[in-house]
This record gives sequence, C-alpha cells and structure tokens, in this order.
Amino acid sequence: MRSDTPGGGRRLDEVLERTIRDIDIPPRPTIIDRICHEMRQDQPNFKYIGEQISADVSLAAALIKTVNSPYFGFRRRCRSVHEALLMLGLDATSRAIAAISLREAFPGSAHYERFWQASAQIAALSGWLAQLVRKSGLRADDAYTYGLFRDCGIVILLRRFPDYMATLDRANHEAERAFTDIEVEVLPTNHSVVGSLLAQNWWLPEEICLAIRYHHDRDAIEQFESGLPAASRYLVAASQTAEHILQQVTGGSHTEEWHKLGSSSQRLLGLDESALGDLYDRGAALIASNS
Amino acid sequence: MHDTGSDLDPITGFLNRIAGLSAASRSVARAESTGDGLAVLWLDIDRFRQINQSFGHVGGDRVIAEVAKRLRQTLSADCLLLRMGSDEFVALMPSLQRQTATEVCQRLLAAIESPLAIDDLLMHPSVSMGIAVHAAGEDPLSLLERADRAMIEAKRRGGKRLIVSGDEPVAGRLGVQLARDELAIEADLHKALESGCLALEYQPLVGLDGRIEAVEALMRCDLPGRRLMPGKFIPVAEKTGLIVRLGEWSLLQGAQFAARLRDEGVATRVAINVSRAQLNSRSFTPALQAALICANVAPALIELEFTESLFLDLSEIVQGNLRSARLAGVGMAIDDFGYGYSCLANLKDLPANKLKLDRSFIKVLPADRRAYAVVKAMAMLGRELGMTVVAEGVETAEQQAAVEGAAVDAVQGYFHARPMPEEAMLAWLKEKNTHAL
Repeated sequence: MRSDTPGGGRRLDEVLERTIRDIDIPPRPTIIDRICHEMRQDQPNFKYIGEQISADVSLAAALIKTVNSPYFGFRRRCRSVHEALLMLGLDATSRAIAAISLREAFPGSAHYERFWQASAQIAALSGWLAQLVRKSGLRADDAYTYGLFRDCGIVILLRRFPDYMATLDRANHEAERAFTDIEVEVLPTNHSVVGSLLAQNWWLPEEICLAIRYHHDRDAIEQFESGLPAASRYLVAASQTAEHILQQVTGGSHTEEWHKLGSSSQRLLGLDESALGDLYDRGAALIASNS
Repeated sequence: MHDTGSDLDPITGFLNRIAGLSAASRSVARAESTGDGLAVLWLDIDRFRQINQSFGHVGGDRVIAEVAKRLRQTLSADCLLLRMGSDEFVALMPSLQRQTATEVCQRLLAAIESPLAIDDLLMHPSVSMGIAVHAAGEDPLSLLERADRAMIEAKRRGGKRLIVSGDEPVAGRLGVQLARDELAIEADLHKALESGCLALEYQPLVGLDGRIEAVEALMRCDLPGRRLMPGKFIPVAEKTGLIVRLGEWSLLQGAQFAARLRDEGVATRVAINVSRAQLNSRSFTPALQAALICANVAPALIELEFTESLFLDLSEIVQGNLRSARLAGVGMAIDDFGYGYSCLANLKDLPANKLKLDRSFIKVLPADRRAYAVVKAMAMLGRELGMTVVAEGVETAEQQAAVEGAAVDAVQGYFHARPMPEEAMLAWLKEKNTHAL
C-alpha cells in the first residue's frame, strides 16, 4: 500500500531524471581512509602509510612542500614522506592531505580559480597568524587547513544553484544581518552547513567542523554558553583577520564580515589597533612572497 | 597532625586523594566520638571535558583553581577540603546536619556560578553536588560513596544542582559504574567522529510482493580493537547532544549511499534514523537539505525514521522541521510503533507515510494469538491511513507466514537479511535485481 505523497509514490524514474550526476560532493581521498584504517590498529604501520603516500608522487611532493611551508608552523624541515609522517603523526598527516586534496577533489575546479586562490591566501595567512598570536589550542596547521575548507560550501552551492552568485553578492554587501541569513532567504541551506558536512565527511577534527559551521555566527563565537570550543573560536577569528588583512593589502573584493566580526576576532586573538596595523605590513610581505 | 607538602595538591592547595582519605577517616572517627554530626559534600565540575577541550589543560587548571578558591571562601574554615580527581572535590563539613549542610551548599552552588574570565572568554562554571550526612556507625568509605552517588545523580539530571543522599533513587554500585562508563563512551564517540571509526550498515525492508521497500541505515562504531554497540552509544549520544553530529553524519552518508544505489541501477530508498534532539534543532532542515544537495540525491530516495516518543512533546521547531521535510518530498516512517507512547491521536495527525510495528509484537508470533490480532488490526489501521505498514524483527519462516496472514505490506528482519556493510548491501540488491519503487 502506498500513499501518493511525493515521498511515497511519485514515479521514481521521473524524479531521477531531474538529477544530474556531475554535481556532487567531492569524494574523500582514499588515502585518508587508509590512514584512518591504520589509526584504528593497535600498532599503526607508518611504513605502509608512507609507501601508500609515496606511490602518488605529486601527493608526496605536495605533502613535503606543505609541511615545510612557513605557514604550517613546523620548525624542523623534513625531506621525506616518512619524516613528515613521524613529525606530524597520522591524524595531522590526514588533515594535511585533506588540505592538499580539496581543490583537486572538486570537479571542474578551474572555473573557480579566483575563489581557490583567495582561499589559499587566507589559509596561508591564517597559519601565519596562528603562530603569531599563540593561543592555546590554536594550531597553525589546523588554521591553514581550516582556511582552505571554510568556504568550500560556496563552490558546492555555486555548482548546484545558478542564481547563487547573486545571493553571494548580496550577502557580501550585507552590513547588519549574518551572511548565512541572506543565503537561507533563497536557499534551503547555507554554505557553512554544507561545508561542515563535507569536513565531517573527510574526518576533519571537531574543532574545524564546528568552526566552519559557525563562522558567520557572532553569538556562537562570543558567548561561552554556545558551547563552541575555544579552538574553533580562534580558528574563526584567525581566518576572519586573515581575510581582512588580505582585503586591506590587495584592495580586492571587500566584504562586510570584518564590520560584523572584526571586533570579536580582535578580542579573541588579543590584537589591538596598533598590533593590527603592524600586521598589515607584515602580511603584505607574506602575500607578495606567496604569489 | 601536620600535612606535609607532598600531601597537598599543587593547584588547589587541598589534600590529595590519598592523604585526604586518611584525613576523612579521622574526621569520621571524631564525629562518631563527639556525636557532633558530619556532612560530606562531593563536587564535580560540569562539562569539564569541554572546558579542557576549549581552553586546553592550562585553562582547565585555572578553572579548577578558581572553583577551589570559591569553595574555600564559601565554606567555613573548619571544613576539610580534598581534591579527589581531575575535576572532583570533597568537603568534610563538621558539626553540620542535613538542613544546614544543604543551605551552605546551595550558597556554594550560586557562588561557583559567578562568571570567570579565561582567555578573554567569559564562562559560568557549574558543578554537580552530592551531600551525605554521617549516620551513626557508618564507615568513612560508605559515607563518601553515598555522597559520590548523590553527585552522580545530580550529574545525570543535567548537572548544575545539588542532591542529598537518600533523595536519589537507589542506584547502587552498578549505577555509579554505568555513569562512569557513559563518560568513557562519550570520549570514544568524540574520537570516532574524527578518526573514521563510524560506518553505516544497511538492512532491507522487503515487500510481501518481493520488491525492496527500502534499506534502513544502522550506525556502527568500530574503535581500535572493539566494537561499540549502538544500544550502548546511542543513549549516551542522545544525552550529551552528540547525536546531532552523529545524525548529520548519517544523513550525508545515507544520502550518498542512496545516490550510489541509483547510479548502480538499483535505486532504493534509504531510511535514516533521526533523533528527537536532531529534530528539535533549528539546524535540522538546513543540514538535511545540505546532505541532499551534497549527495545530489532526490528527496524521494530518502526516508526519515523517528520513534513516536517524538510526539510526547511536539515543539514548534520539531513540527516545522517535519513540515519542511515532507514538503521537500522526503519520506517519513514511525519506528518501533506500538511499544512506547503509542497514541492514536498522534497517528491521525502524523505526517508519516510508513508505520513500522515494533518487534515485540512479532517476536511472540505465531503462538500469541492476541499479538497476532493487534498486528492485523494495526496493519488495517495503517492501510486506512494511507501508510505502508512494516513488521520489524521477523526472524523465522513461521513469523513471516504470520505477518503475511496479518497483511502487512513489508517485512524487516533476519529472516530476509541481517544488516550488512555498504558493499554487501549493494551486491545483495543487485542480486535481487529488483527496482524498489
């Protein structure tokens, strides 16, 4: 017996025809599954994981390059995948690989070149800032990974909803209400929820998933009662500050986020106006060396 | 007797556990000989794990030190203060009877809650307290244990409160152990969510005509070297609110599997369990929609399963979430029907299009004719309401024959298939080679 509600009875073929395969969440890299599998063992086999990573030459090179980069926060330089694994441990390696693979995992990511470039800049600046402000629980490598993932929901929504670009534009210029409030006026969801689901799906740590989820929510960031871990708040603050520095330095697209979240971010990171002013100059040098 | 430096906990300046226990014995002996009375307070900081996670161990230690300071300031100088464990304190309060001890501790509860600044963030610490008043002839360990048990009851009721021993239901040692186990499970779940220890298994719902009605997703948690059973971790997840994150994870995972089944040519609805806590959250609808969008799957391929306990207290948020899910075209099933709070009025108003009869009715078939009568009547009722009726927990051919006789629409249980991992489910469906809908 079936009802004729849409959930129950409409001809399925008809429903299915409307779905197009190429719009989809980027799949989690299989190497992350292998690392997770190894983490579940009593004695994880680093050598095996090292071999698996090394089998993909470009991944291995990118991993060493990322770990050695100044914004990742490790002082010692590593020369091999094996050294990187020993230095980072399995869980941080998994996160680094997530960061390296994200962009490639999106089909047709060339369309969003500018978006990814900005994400990469924000990620680098976030990792750099995390080392400068020294807050307990705020790791540079996490800040870097978070910077890359924070807005990935935007790409998923852009691919799915043709009019989303106009919504983004409005949200970017909204001076009072939260960015996500503008999105949900026209969409059934918002980019921070989509991004946090993706991050969870890639087994990123709780602090990063939650920071993605609440990165436009001033109350969640400011009030202890929201239950948001401090590390998540610092991640949000670091990336907002990074984005602000980037916009100041490059004069690129200005959003209203600093107006809404800047004072919270400064307070969380312990940055007064003069400290912030100082960061513009140092950030400019970093951006120049990065591009 | 003087306390040596090594008997003191460096952070609080209180006696540490070992020195504290022998001091407690002396206090009890003194109370016993003078007859002056003695009350024991057991205090535990609420959400300490979260505090540590938020502020790091340095921040956690500052909270410990601050709570200790407030204890010292509020309690009289003749109280003996002990630090029992990471976030647990004991105060032995001489010459106090039940009434006064309760009043003092109520004041303490308020004092501890005043705001505390750590790293620019204001927090309001809260604690769970248990009090036990010494009974003549009672040994120190039993007295402490009663206070501990009362504290655990306070924690069980959501913390931020005081329970006097004797007022709590008798939990016994087992109850105390269970509460400790729950904390360990909570820690395991946090770990599972970031180390790939979670997986969904699937069990088919088979129509009497042989078509596959749906597959139900069941959560599995495999930690290093052991499997955590859903019966154990789901209740803990519900209590701690972690169920919302686990639930969102299953929504996306289940939706992706539905997309995969469609792409493999065996399109089948995937039924995903949702909890009350999830549906009672404003973020449910955006999360469900995000899962559908991310997996690129039609809402008609997803079904939400919830138990009727949801309707005990149908908040506006729950109703709004159910409404928008139905509008989107997502299917809805009432799980375990007939077991808990079954109310026919709810049945009439429900947005659900599927009714899953609880296994307790099926288990006793075919011998129990009264159970059979109930199943048959419910099948008819469900049909009249336009719902697909499913019998859960069918394990034998006799039970299958009985539910066929009762004219349900579909069956779920070991008789047809056990829950299986994704790959096995896909292979099973391909072998059946039956389009589900």
